[in-house]
Amino acid sequence: MPPKVNLEKCDGCKAQDEPLCEQVCPGDLMTLNDNQQAYCRATRDCWDCMCCTKICPVGAIETTIPYQLGYYGAKLVPMMGTNSITWTSQDIHGKVERFRIKTRTEQD
Amino acid sequence: MAKTPAKTAVLIVDSDGQMAQGINTGKLTEKLSSGKDVVFCRILKYPLPESQAEQIKQELTEGICDRILWIGHFTGTQKRCLTETFVPAGLNPFLHGWCDLLDQGVLSDSQDRAIMEKKALTVIRMALARTRLLEALEPMELPASKSVLIVGAGVAGLNAAETLSQLGHKVHLVEQKSGVGGKVALLSRFYPRMCDPHCGIEVVLNALSASERVDIHTLTRVVETNGSPGNYTIRLEKAPRYVKTDLCTACGECLNVCPVEFDNGRGAIQDMPPFNTGNGLLKLLPGKTRAIHPAEPFPFPEAFVIERDRCPAGCQECEKVCPTGAIDLQDGSVSETVEAGAILVATGWDPFPLSQVTEYGYGVNPGVIGNLEMEQLLATFRVPHAPLSTFDLNKTEAVGFVQCAGSRDDRYLKYCSTVCCSGTLKQVMTLKQAYPDIRCYIFYNDIRSTGFDENLLRTVKMLDGVVFIPGFPAQVETNRATGKLSAVAEDTLSGREIKLELDLLVLAGGMQPSQSADQIAATLGLPRNQYGFFESHHQCRPEESQRTGIFVGGCAREPMNVAHSLESIHLAAMKALRFTMGTVHVEPAYPVVDKTKCDQCKRCVEDCPFSCFDYDEKGFPVPDLAKCRQCGNCMGVCPVIAISKRDCTIRQLSQQVETMGNSPFLDYEEPIILSFLCENDAAPAVRLAMEQGISVPPNVISIPVPCAGAVNNALLADALSLGIDGVLIAGCKEGHCHYVNGDQLVRKRSGDLKDKLETMMIEQERVRFVSLEIRDALKYADTVASYVADLKAIGPNPFKV
Repeated sequence: MPPKVNLEKCDGCKAQDEPLCEQVCPGDLMTLNDNQQAYCRATRDCWDCMCCTKICPVGAIETTIPYQLGYYGAKLVPMMGTNSITWTSQDIHGKVERFRIKTRTEQD
Repeated sequence: MAKTPAKTAVLIVDSDGQMAQGINTGKLTEKLSSGKDVVFCRILKYPLPESQAEQIKQELTEGICDRILWIGHFTGTQKRCLTETFVPAGLNPFLHGWCDLLDQGVLSDSQDRAIMEKKALTVIRMALARTRLLEALEPMELPASKSVLIVGAGVAGLNAAETLSQLGHKVHLVEQKSGVGGKVALLSRFYPRMCDPHCGIEVVLNALSASERVDIHTLTRVVETNGSPGNYTIRLEKAPRYVKTDLCTACGECLNVCPVEFDNGRGAIQDMPPFNTGNGLLKLLPGKTRAIHPAEPFPFPEAFVIERDRCPAGCQECEKVCPTGAIDLQDGSVSETVEAGAILVATGWDPFPLSQVTEYGYGVNPGVIGNLEMEQLLATFRVPHAPLSTFDLNKTEAVGFVQCAGSRDDRYLKYCSTVCCSGTLKQVMTLKQAYPDIRCYIFYNDIRSTGFDENLLRTVKMLDGVVFIPGFPAQVETNRATGKLSAVAEDTLSGREIKLELDLLVLAGGMQPSQSADQIAATLGLPRNQYGFFESHHQCRPEESQRTGIFVGGCAREPMNVAHSLESIHLAAMKALRFTMGTVHVEPAYPVVDKTKCDQCKRCVEDCPFSCFDYDEKGFPVPDLAKCRQCGNCMGVCPVIAISKRDCTIRQLSQQVETMGNSPFLDYEEPIILSFLCENDAAPAVRLAMEQGISVPPNVISIPVPCAGAVNNALLADALSLGIDGVLIAGCKEGHCHYVNGDQLVRKRSGDLKDKLETMMIEQERVRFVSLEIRDALKYADTVASYVADLKAIGPNPFKV
């Protein structure tokens, strides 16, 4: 399922040529609409990698879970730390699980 | 890249054994000695005994240790002394880590000793984690020009030009009008000494024309600026004068032949002194100007100027008659590029358009004039035998003065222009001196003659025939039979209605930013305040604009009198010296962009409060170090955490947060709070709280940051995902940020994070912003206490183990 952009939050990365979600999307699916806000221009091509959701600096993008993975009520929310990603997942029964995963981008 | 591990010397400074009373320092030393990258740990006293200092110096030079973490409580002076002690041993001042136990509340004796020991260990581990990552930093010297550009050749600009040229600087003085002098050239007298302002201008001009270092560019506008503080390249555009300045002798022959005579828009009052032409005094009709005329407002440069758009087609009368051949009717505009290290903006003021103030019939009743017009009327005393005005003051019997006309009024100017009261008193004095029989009525709300101007008020009060009426005229009409004004007012003290017959009614209008300020603001990218004046931090740094390297003085900053405007422009000139001494010193703590991480989203460019980012040839943002004020807001705003301030890197901060999250010092049920403190206001407030022994709950550990806006959302995410129960961000009060709007930026960003927390089913309350002023010690204690209570109510962070 494609990313959903919260139009109240998205500031189109302040109308720069390429917003961050456009830069990171591996399928080059995100772009700006006439209001200078981001949207996914080919929803069927999105493979739910969640790059855009992770990078969005204002937290405006949400990736809805495909129904084959989790029906209505299921969600998966990433939060980016300096050297970690924190995942919060909720299944259709409302059960919440949380994971903190260190990213190895920095050498100690 | 493999780095050699840090070799930290941990020095516990416990001057009077106070720390040992609360904490088992022996055990602490033992624990710390085995810490990562620690080479030794010692307990010392302050001041450092000579022998111990020598020993540490020895160890530094031998390379046994390469950085020092100080633990204890240190005042600013102590920190400076300790830093300087080890400079001879080759230790860079930035390789000192400081762990102030008092600031963290660990030295407070009212707390549980066991908790304090644990907390002390956590705090020290955090400081250790930071100290390990410290790097030696050096300041930078950037080359800079030695010249200054001054925009506006009014009294402020002229005087600043004189001072700066005396100091050896090259000065480019740019003026949009044909002559210099600005508004002061239109005044009749300076108060309190009642001398002629032209005299003051002439003295400065003599000095300036004698100096080779001053270029006065009249009829010139600043159209483009490039470069950065220390090295501006400024493009000037000079409008044609049509008269060659080097040839014109201002003889005035051309005035006799010029066929165009036009209304100069100054009403019935003429401001030009008569011109002594070859044929005797040339008198123009009042309020009229010829197409060729002397430079305005003050005839310097001496060369005349032609308003070419008024010339009849094909007319060459002036060219024919000019004895020196100075007229060049084909003159065109010229573009010139100059270099300057700093820019002083002294664009001054314009009178508030009194035609907007409809109450008194300005522009309808011929006897109603503005205070500047009154100045010009009084200025005719300069040429005593040439009555230049249609108003014959000899026949005048009564003059009214209305204070605050269009000022301090929601409909017009909302502020007080500070000079109009004294100005009116001065006008009354000048008038009464020459015409003692004229009666003066001053309608006022309250007379604001501040400081020594009170003497003016006293003098005027003593004069015969001067009446102060506390109230404004409600009705002003022209009596058709007599041609006089009739004004009806209420004396608000006695409640009586007053009816007056007046010959003149002078409206004391206020000051508004000069029209040219719009163009300058656009060209230089200068933000302005709500009234249109250039302003940055009004109380601490009044001379600065929001753009580094550009300084503001005189009435471009706020309404002020001539004396204050000279003071303010000189303050601005002094501050500008930093960029005009040949080099610009850059403090070592500037931000750097990690190009391997940056993906050119340009958010730092957008959000930098001082617009100091530019792009390199590959499109990466590069901070202009001469402009940068090292607030760290770029570091806070970067979504990919690619920017770090060199003395307070993202990595140092995240390591501290991680250490805190991994070494709990309280029971599971007790919330732990991380607070980020703005170094300007919040951190001193917290220190005050601790020094005064105000009880702050032990749950909080603080990390100082250069500005609340330097706190990146990733750090908040780190803290929450490591099980820290709450994050408190302490910034300045709204509108008080030392870096313009850091508090607003972090509020907006943490607000976004809070929304994300909600989708993660984590309480939004876990991130809180508080604004602290520098003395808000009690407020901090209360905030922490109530935050602890709130966090207890919502339970532990789900990530807590």
